[in-house]
Amino acid sequence: MTVPTHSLSIDIGGTFTDFTLHDVETGDLSVHKVLTDPEDPASALIRGVREILADTGTAPESLRLVVHSTTLATNAIIERKGAKTALLTTRGFRDVLELGREQIYDMHDLHARYPDPIVPRHLRAEVPERVDRDGRVLQELDLETSAQVLDELVEQGVEAVAVSLLHSYNNPVNEQALKEQIEKRHPDLSLSLSSEVAPVINEYERTSTTTADGYIKPSVTSYIRGVERDLAAEGYDGRLLVMHSAGGVMDADASCERPIRMLESGPAAGALAAGFYSDLLGEPDLISLDMGGTTAKTCVIEDGRPSQTNTIEVARVHRFKIGSGLPIVIPVLDLIEIGSGGGSIAWLDGLGLLRVGPQSSGASPGPACYGLGGTEPTVTDANLVLGYLNPDYFLGGRMNLDTGAARTAMSRLGSEMSMNEVEAAWGVYSVVTESMAAAARIHIIGRNKDPRRYAIVAFGGAGPAHACEVARILGATRVVVPLGAGVTSALGCLAAPLSFESVRSAPGLLERTDWDEVNRTFEEMESWGREMLANSGVSADDVQMTRTGDMRLVGQIHEINVPVPGETLSGDDIERIESDFHSIYQQLYARRNLSLPIEVQNWRLLVSGPQPDLSLREQKVTGGGSANRDAVKGSRQAYFPSASGYVDCPVYDRYRLQAGAEFPGPAIIEEAEATTIVRPGESVSVDRWLNLVITLED
Amino acid sequence: MVQERFDPVSLEIMWSRMLNVAEEMWSTILRTAVSTIIASANDFGCEVLDAEGRSIAHAYRSMPVFNMTMPNVTKEILKKYPVESMHPGDVYMTNDPWMCAGHLPDIAIVSPVIHQGRFVGFVGNIANTSDIGGSLDAKAVTDSYEEGIFFPLCKLYDKGEPNELAFDMFKWNVRGPEMVLTDIEAQVAANQVGARRIVDFLDEYMLEDLTELSEAIRGRSETAMRRAIAELPDGEYTNEVYTDGMGDPLLIKVRIEIKGDEIAVDFDGSAPQIDRGGLNCTMIYSQGHTYYPLACLLTPDVPVNEGCFEPISVTAPEGSIINCTFPVSVGSRTNTGWYIHGCIFGALAKAIPEQIQSGNGLMSSIRTYGSEADGRVFNAHLFCGGGRGATSRSDGMGLNMFPSSASNVPVEVFEVSSPALIVGKELMPDSAGGGKYRGAPGQRVTVGKLPSYDNPLNVYFHPNRLSFAPQGIFGGKAGTKTNVIVNGEMISDDPASMTSGYVSLRDTDDRLILEFPSGAGAGDPAERDSEMLERDVRNGLVTGED
Repeated sequence: MTVPTHSLSIDIGGTFTDFTLHDVETGDLSVHKVLTDPEDPASALIRGVREILADTGTAPESLRLVVHSTTLATNAIIERKGAKTALLTTRGFRDVLELGREQIYDMHDLHARYPDPIVPRHLRAEVPERVDRDGRVLQELDLETSAQVLDELVEQGVEAVAVSLLHSYNNPVNEQALKEQIEKRHPDLSLSLSSEVAPVINEYERTSTTTADGYIKPSVTSYIRGVERDLAAEGYDGRLLVMHSAGGVMDADASCERPIRMLESGPAAGALAAGFYSDLLGEPDLISLDMGGTTAKTCVIEDGRPSQTNTIEVARVHRFKIGSGLPIVIPVLDLIEIGSGGGSIAWLDGLGLLRVGPQSSGASPGPACYGLGGTEPTVTDANLVLGYLNPDYFLGGRMNLDTGAARTAMSRLGSEMSMNEVEAAWGVYSVVTESMAAAARIHIIGRNKDPRRYAIVAFGGAGPAHACEVARILGATRVVVPLGAGVTSALGCLAAPLSFESVRSAPGLLERTDWDEVNRTFEEMESWGREMLANSGVSADDVQMTRTGDMRLVGQIHEINVPVPGETLSGDDIERIESDFHSIYQQLYARRNLSLPIEVQNWRLLVSGPQPDLSLREQKVTGGGSANRDAVKGSRQAYFPSASGYVDCPVYDRYRLQAGAEFPGPAIIEEAEATTIVRPGESVSVDRWLNLVITLED
Repeated sequence: MVQERFDPVSLEIMWSRMLNVAEEMWSTILRTAVSTIIASANDFGCEVLDAEGRSIAHAYRSMPVFNMTMPNVTKEILKKYPVESMHPGDVYMTNDPWMCAGHLPDIAIVSPVIHQGRFVGFVGNIANTSDIGGSLDAKAVTDSYEEGIFFPLCKLYDKGEPNELAFDMFKWNVRGPEMVLTDIEAQVAANQVGARRIVDFLDEYMLEDLTELSEAIRGRSETAMRRAIAELPDGEYTNEVYTDGMGDPLLIKVRIEIKGDEIAVDFDGSAPQIDRGGLNCTMIYSQGHTYYPLACLLTPDVPVNEGCFEPISVTAPEGSIINCTFPVSVGSRTNTGWYIHGCIFGALAKAIPEQIQSGNGLMSSIRTYGSEADGRVFNAHLFCGGGRGATSRSDGMGLNMFPSSASNVPVEVFEVSSPALIVGKELMPDSAGGGKYRGAPGQRVTVGKLPSYDNPLNVYFHPNRLSFAPQGIFGGKAGTKTNVIVNGEMISDDPASMTSGYVSLRDTDDRLILEFPSGAGAGDPAERDSEMLERDVRNGLVTGED
């Protein structure tokens, strides 16, 4: 029998599906990329699995683990390709989903639109019942009416039902009664209950999350089950784990049960990869810069971990504007995604100012230089004009770029600004790097940190070409580009522990907490978590439990996550929790506020398994200069304003660079899936894991 | 336009930086404020201003009117306090309705930005405090004195030292002073954050001050506005609308003169100021509500700053509801000022038909105040949106707080914050003003009190559109009026009889129903796309019963 020695990760993005295969014994890493098939993502996935196994001579039986991240869940919502879903609400609140927060997200656009609710009004129905703010049942569920309502919806062909009743976060009894009735009466219906999906206060956000969960549940379930079957048919008999939005993995069953937790699993994998490099490099604070074809993601790594938040907005309908999408309340890594990628189109706004994105040329027609019919000037065209990309070595030479077409596009853009093509290209490059830096800065500063203290780890197809400029704007002095930067996100899947966070809402003043009730709540969550991990093969000794509480000063809407002791709780713990709260508060907002009492909003429990065994093979460090002479494969003209224009710039073959190599900028370093740009005045060294470490002038 | 030092690329970058500073200030307030009206409903705004007190950037979810009244405050600060006397740690404050935002609850908090020992500009914000003292019944007041405490422009902090008198005045004159003072601390913190960012920015770009950047930003914006105005046909455009008043309708009359690349807006002929109910607008407030709709129509893509308004003049006779004099009451000035937009849109419908929006059902606020069974004070606001009007290219956006940037307060949050029971909050079928494009429907909010709450629950409100429904454009139908129904009895049929601004819910079965207005339609209803009509029928928004 073969001893399983390899872990495989698969990350499906909009354009490419990326694979990394990690040999746990040697630390060797192999990577692979195939085109995503948007119509049938599973078929491209399986083809890629076969290819990478064949290329590396790995038997399917030697796979010990397969971890998957995918944009499938997010895309189903963006493209509105989910199931026919109904929503049941408390009588009088049928329109919660349509009323939303009643806020204008663009104060000057009189033609702006809100996103259509996921469940149209004719599939939203009310049931007679009511729970009050304290969780008291004012009216029991009227089962006769609800039976009738359900039957009517089923007659309309509904496949999934979401249930979201007022104050159910505080007392789910009426939602549970509905669940029982639905399971008995219509056992084939897919069901999502707000008190299970997102048991938190705020009826719109909770309902939005629950309906989105219901909407994607049937398709996610059939997709995940299909991938499991296909992998088994290839000869893999282990588990399929799925990356979730909070940067852990869950087993396939949990992902089918709670598919909304799969949102943004691709970006989460990228952030987790950054966390992995933070450990590897001994660099506890990092900024990740993950730039692909249509978007760029940045995430702050603090103390080796990406930070986490509790809400994201998906499927924005209006130029990525905050407020124009659907709020989803789930534990999610706190990252910022903006519409700037290699394919983003440059344009002039009504003021004659240069803008880039969020419109993207996508994979088709693509940037002008792809020669696939695109004529719009894009970031990739700018990079080609500036000499940053090699027209003959795009995707390792699998695709040729048309420099002439890129020049034409840039020259047309430039003529509108009285600039030549090169100035225009530099303008595009500057605007796109500035918007990434601005997003990162808001994000970092929102955490009261100084961006100048951070190193940047750059990956994604376009990240390494922009990272040094972003670093300069942020005042950061170090940039790290991992080997295989083009598929680093997929590697992040292998760095994720099994984990799942449960949340229970229990609003009230901290000083009046019913600790017996809280102890019961944690015990319930803990036994559920233990069971989930046991089912995934984690032994009881390896299970970690982390308790926290979301707390705030009375009246605030933004909570702070405060550690909660792990043992049986009582009133004696209040002092310790209060003191933790105040010190975290001061860290965040530079001042203590002792005048108002603290209120608890939610209790949270994170259960997690052991950190996976992911270590990269270390290379022997050889002497400096000699290690890189062979790696220079040529030179070309590249544009650097600090050098007053085009200069002759050596081009390095990334695969021939050895550990310990050191050389100065300007330099271009090419690998198949990404190109790294180093400017004059910067210097590069190659560390023992073959990462490029670029030092900027202070 | 002045010769610019910045090319389009650096200007875009630096401008974004200024907008980011305002955004950061905004999120600081959001995260640390505690009242439902500020922390949940977002009734505040943040601004960056240059050394002349001129606005250059604002947070995008800021109240539009605050962004325009803030520069007025900073210019008054410059008149009263010499630049040489300004130090880090200074904080100025006022809620003067004639200087600031038109009513006392709007408190402006402004800090100078000192760079290398030199004053270079201001950061400031205005937020609608949860209480400013005075009468709870906004309809009953007869002058400004009854509306609460008035802070003339003063220093809240001097080199970081608090002005004890000002803090004590809050402590003894407002309801729930802890809530009010915590919100003010949030405002001060936002300025600290903003000032620090601007200093960093200047250092990074090796700029001495904001002067040239301000000129470039304002210059670009002014050019864009002038270009947009120049495209309009010259001429005089007039309109008039009526507001509810205190039962007797009040007239707002506008005359807009477009000449070349300038616009003059005059409100001559509008009703004289009135002696009760807080319906009077101060001039600065009216100017804000005149600039805002013009910016929507003419330069929707330009982040607003003072440059946008150079080509626009606004005048109104002193002593009118548009330009009232101290000490008339102003607390509910939105019940007048929010009709200015419709009045201007209507006037310009001929000049710029493709941009115009038909009549909006306006938002209203419900407030509860009192003591919980255990003695704790509650003071909560529930903002409820009106239906937006349609435009000549699309249905009304939905329900929201236009012309304010506020959001609603979740029903669950409102209930947790007070012993009210919201029995329903739902769209009203057949309410939307019909048209080729229809308005957004109105909403019905049904309020009761918790069975477990033994005291009467007072619900304060001062709704808009009791007498006049929003009007359609280009043949579109009108939207609906506000209806107020107490225990089955419609009390809003005769607005003149609604002399008090609150209802007491005494029994568990007592119900206050507020039917908030829908938006009006645009274009002939007969031209409505059949699929869109079918969808409305399927969704029960159009029933065909009438």
